[in-house]
Amino acid sequence: MDLIISLTVNGLATGMLIFLLAAGLTLIFGLMSVLNFAHGGLFIWGAYTGVWSFQMTGSFVVGIITAIITGLLLGLVTERLIIRPVYGNHIQQILITLGFMLVLQEFIKVVFGPDQKAVFPPEILQGSFLVGDIVLIKYRLFIIAVGILIFIVSSFILKRTRIGLIVRAGVMDKEMVQSLGINIKLVFMLVFMVGAAMAALSGIMHAVYSGVIYAEMGLEFSILAFIVVVIGGMGSFSGSLFAAILVGLAQAFMAYYVPALSLAVNMLLMTVVLIFRPQGLFGKG
Amino acid sequence: MNIRSVEKSTWIFIIFSLLLFIVPFIVTGRSMQFIIIQIFIFAIFAMSYDILLGYTGIISFGHVMFFGIGAYSTAIIMNNMDATVLSFFVAILVAVIIASIVSFIVGALTLRLKSHFYAMLTLALAGLFLVAAEKWRSLTGGNDGFTFRLPEILRESHNLYMLCLIALILFFFGLRRFTKSPFGRVLMAIRENEARTESLGYKVLHYKVIASVVAGVVASIAGVLYALSLRFVNTGVFATDLTIDVLLMTIIGGVGTLVGPILGAGLVEFAHHWLSGLSNVHWIFERWIILYGTVYVLVVIFFPLGIVGTIQSKFTNRTVKGLRDNRKTVGK
Repeated sequence: MDLIISLTVNGLATGMLIFLLAAGLTLIFGLMSVLNFAHGGLFIWGAYTGVWSFQMTGSFVVGIITAIITGLLLGLVTERLIIRPVYGNHIQQILITLGFMLVLQEFIKVVFGPDQKAVFPPEILQGSFLVGDIVLIKYRLFIIAVGILIFIVSSFILKRTRIGLIVRAGVMDKEMVQSLGINIKLVFMLVFMVGAAMAALSGIMHAVYSGVIYAEMGLEFSILAFIVVVIGGMGSFSGSLFAAILVGLAQAFMAYYVPALSLAVNMLLMTVVLIFRPQGLFGKG
Repeated sequence: MNIRSVEKSTWIFIIFSLLLFIVPFIVTGRSMQFIIIQIFIFAIFAMSYDILLGYTGIISFGHVMFFGIGAYSTAIIMNNMDATVLSFFVAILVAVIIASIVSFIVGALTLRLKSHFYAMLTLALAGLFLVAAEKWRSLTGGNDGFTFRLPEILRESHNLYMLCLIALILFFFGLRRFTKSPFGRVLMAIRENEARTESLGYKVLHYKVIASVVAGVVASIAGVLYALSLRFVNTGVFATDLTIDVLLMTIIGGVGTLVGPILGAGLVEFAHHWLSGLSNVHWIFERWIILYGTVYVLVVIFFPLGIVGTIQSKFTNRTVKGLRDNRKTVGK
């Protein structure tokens, strides 16, 4: 029993990290119909800058804030330089964002060096709680809490505020929103920046979780986010959460029981979903 | 065959390919010959990619998996059988069979999806192949890879050059004929307007699957030759970097032209060689991928037709729809 609980906690923690990455991806796609292959690059920049300032100042909060600021700034630059020239042309977007992903990844090696770096969680989040016989590792609970918090806050903003209304209307019909006098380009940019910041946040959280960071991590982890977005349905926020948890749990349990299949199980999930429901579980037909 | 009906451009290509047969007698340095061999191999690989991207308008980020299948089937067969010419042919056969089965399954399952999904799915699939090659150590030797012996006749750099050149010429003229055939015209129609092609009564999915099988098989042959030229294989043949390389070659040279990818392969390989030579001068050249990526991004934005495509469009006002800038339709 305690094994199952601890695997579940593992799975939920991984799922939340994937969700943070996938949520930005799916919002950007839903609003701008841009599939951002460079998302993994934003993730890895968040991880490196966050870890750097965390180790410099010794404060994890500063690290997280640095990661978020990096994400926002990089999001701004990416949107302006990379995405804006190719709006409305899918082939160009896909090609260009993948190229930019590679540039981001290599720049990491220039700035921070090509070697792997070890990361340790802050003291307050080290160790674990003991509930009966069950060991609950603090940092994993922290990730789950942050994930839920982000989900609640962003759902609230999307569903209850004027900005959220504009974003949701933009997802449905952007020409109409623009003709009502709203600067949709600005909305695009802000959503892109927020999505990038979420990717960067996911990066720093994941860096501490896995204990080691390296430049190729971004592409590897973003493949999981792609799988999640496909399963959950493009443009669906709650679909991403559901699929991320599903993928996280599948990965955690498979990694324990059948380690060889832990990546294959996600591919299998995705293939099944694509065959029977190509628009994703929560996607609109 | 009526000799007058042959197009003028065909004569130019024939003359040029004859000239390439003389090159190894002039360029005798082994390292230089090796670079040219690499160019031929990547030219074949890039041409196969052009069938997908340039002619059918499919973006695959997993094309490298067929290349890797070719490389690994050669290496594994050569390692386990005697190093004879016969086992080389067996290797080619196995590579072609596996590549066609895999490309058929992947294509039939996923090509009905929109371009985004297809791109993501192929990226993920190639990742799966990479992980499989790393995990299945008993067969692949993992990340360290393994070396293998070649039959006597293929060890000679000169013979390898001729083999790769002949393969390149055969595939170039074969694929050129393929794209000019009625089948190739349908592929281009799919690229220009999929819905209209469908409504004209063509089964778009069938055509796309066949295109991806053709591209997959040609890429696997490129992989076979690659393994031969290195006499070594490791998981690098499944790496995403290689996909980016071949994308860059195709796009710089010019999509949908077949000649373009060959030219692009030459440029990229030479640039690669030159830049890694410069790494002694300044450490930044060790990170030449940054330069690659930047050039690639700039080319996609400002130069989407590539070298050959731009020259052609000057003469014929031809445009490639998929990569042409159409800013009017925001989103959708």
